[in-house]
Amino acid sequence: MLEQNESEIKPNEEQIQDNEIDKLKQSLSSCEDKLKRSLADYVNLERKTESDIQNGIAEKMDKFMLQFLTIYDDLVRAKEILKKENPGAQGLDGILKNIDSLLESYGITPISALGEIFDPNLHEAISIIPDESLDDNTITKELRKGYISHNRTLRPTLVEISKKSQ
Amino acid sequence: MAKIIGIDLGTSNSAASVMMGGKPALIPAAEGTSIGGKAFPSVVAFTKEGQLLVGEPARRQAVTNPDNTIIAAKRKMGSDHIFKIQGKDYKPQQISAFILQKIKKDAEAFLGEPVAKAVITVPAYFDDNQRQATKDAGTIAGLDVVRIINEPTAASLAFGLDKAGQDMKILVFDLGGGTLDVTIMEMGGGVFEVLSTSGDTQLGGTDMDKVLIDHVVNEFRKTTGIDLTKDSTAMTRIREASEKAKIELSTVMETDINLPFISYDQASGPKNLELKLTRAKFEELIRPIVERCRTSIDNALRDAKLATSDVSKIVLVGGPTRIPMVKKFVGDVIGKSPESGVDPMEAVAMGAAIQAGIIAGDVTSDIVLLDVTPLTLGVETLGGLREPLIERNTTIPTSKTKVFTTAADNQTAVTIHVVQGERPMATDNVSLGSFNLAGIPPAPRGIPQIEVKFDIDANGIINVTAKDLGTSKEAKITIQAGTKLSKEEIDKLKQDAEKFADEDKKKKESVDIKNEAESFVYTTEKLLTQDLKDKLTQEQGIKISESVKELKEVLDKTPDEIKPKLEALKTLVNQITTELYKNVQQPPQQEQQAGQSEQNTQNQGPTN
Repeated sequence: MLEQNESEIKPNEEQIQDNEIDKLKQSLSSCEDKLKRSLADYVNLERKTESDIQNGIAEKMDKFMLQFLTIYDDLVRAKEILKKENPGAQGLDGILKNIDSLLESYGITPISALGEIFDPNLHEAISIIPDESLDDNTITKELRKGYISHNRTLRPTLVEISKKSQ
Repeated sequence: MAKIIGIDLGTSNSAASVMMGGKPALIPAAEGTSIGGKAFPSVVAFTKEGQLLVGEPARRQAVTNPDNTIIAAKRKMGSDHIFKIQGKDYKPQQISAFILQKIKKDAEAFLGEPVAKAVITVPAYFDDNQRQATKDAGTIAGLDVVRIINEPTAASLAFGLDKAGQDMKILVFDLGGGTLDVTIMEMGGGVFEVLSTSGDTQLGGTDMDKVLIDHVVNEFRKTTGIDLTKDSTAMTRIREASEKAKIELSTVMETDINLPFISYDQASGPKNLELKLTRAKFEELIRPIVERCRTSIDNALRDAKLATSDVSKIVLVGGPTRIPMVKKFVGDVIGKSPESGVDPMEAVAMGAAIQAGIIAGDVTSDIVLLDVTPLTLGVETLGGLREPLIERNTTIPTSKTKVFTTAADNQTAVTIHVVQGERPMATDNVSLGSFNLAGIPPAPRGIPQIEVKFDIDANGIINVTAKDLGTSKEAKITIQAGTKLSKEEIDKLKQDAEKFADEDKKKKESVDIKNEAESFVYTTEKLLTQDLKDKLTQEQGIKISESVKELKEVLDKTPDEIKPKLEALKTLVNQITTELYKNVQQPPQQEQQAGQSEQNTQNQGPTN
């Protein structure tokens, strides 16, 4: 009986040990996997944080610029009125030029419109005039200048376009 | 696992959202954020050249190309309506598919990976046909629509109502740009059941914008006699300024609309539009529109056979519900405050993303949940101040090291007293334990460097080690902090910190000034007895000694008494040292000065 028992116990012990090793191996590989994933998550997070910060700044900047541009528009209007009443007046030209170069240095560029064909990615049509001499959708008047900020339309140019009467 | 996105396919605007790091994030439109937020207009158009436009660009050309521009295709979903465009027939689901395609593209650009699955929301009143049409639209756009959910359900998910753990009746008030939907739902065990729906398809924020614009135009006409309605540029400016004023009036009581050079009169020159708009005036203007919402609420309650008192939660959806008057109106009708904390413009898209996250397993996945330290951990320093080492809400495991020094000459031991809490005085916080580091070689105060290291493992167990950098002698303590305080105690400590903030600031200031004075006394005495012993005249020596004595006498008094004496001593010492340097032939080298400053960064450390 005793011998028999011993012979039975021995393989059991080995088996238990093997099981233990298997378990540990499994746990190790799962830990390694988790560690790698965590490290990868971290690297990804770092990259995402960087781009989130950049996007956040761009977004805030765009929001500010949109409001600033309405004041800029007012200055342009003031200049036009001034010119109308006093053709020699140049006081505001210098200010506007300075603002233009400030905008440019922040990657904000004006959208050209007059005489071009209407492009809804850059322009917003708010009125139409019949004109037989022009191609359809030619921009005949720029009602408010639009701007591009870092390849995105910050604000479309408001335009008047022509249509042939049919 | 690939992400599933949530889509709010709206009548006038659409938006999409996706779970990122366990929270729903709005997917920005590729053409950039507009003033209205991250949503974009649900407009589809075809140009003369046959180019497809969706969103902002489609809206911008609507005036010039009305025949080939489609707005509000959602209203036709599930019907046999056919949009005829440039000789081609389009079903409503095909038009919606163009919008979904754009969302898919934006989402892929945002996530940097392909997107194949989506949850799309529909109004609660949509029938099977309309739901099937919405699903078909997704399929056409290349999206596997894993679920269609009701907009009010999505909004409730965004507000976390499914997690409330109790049965409730929810009234969802969704006031959009052009439609009002009131839905009453019953929620039990996280399952939402629609009890009734009601609404008005011709009522929304656009009506409010219109009355405001009319008001501005009329006021201008009253004062100048000029009609601006024919001037499209002026009208665009008025529309934008009114929108801005409307948003501002949600937070302030009064705002100005200033539009310089709005018009030019040959006789009298340029005309400016200047108008003060109060919240009261704005509310008076929109009151008739807001009042019209009452019928829909009453109808929904009647159909659900409920009294106002049966409603347990109110959820607001849509931009116009940001207006305080609208919020108050709904709250008053039901007799309960609406839920808050989620942007009503984004709630539906976010809720759709949460549902998508649940389906994808993002929400309850087996990601390792990392804990945070609920309270700041620090040590006690000179004068009973607390020096924070690990700020609260820091994710653990983490560790932090700081170098301290001695407070007295020939101090051979320091006590490290570990405290937890948000208050600047150590005694006002919870003491976690203390230990000594002995065997520091005798040295003047400020010279020994004691490095204190806090290390918290993932189980919240804190190991604090103090090491004398001169001798490498070490002592340490292990604290099972995580189990020490209950949530109530933690909350109380945080509240105390706020409650006593002013008082604590004064206490800290008083200790700070005392520490500074003591330190200055020490340095000055050292100057007198060692460094400048032979360089001072007798008169100077006596003057300084007297001033030091005066300062020492007030050291235990109030800061107001210490300050003038400290300043007097400082001025005196500065005068004398300046004179000394004047007599020196060569100026000191710059580098030496720079080298000195390092010691200042050390904390005057653990005492006793």
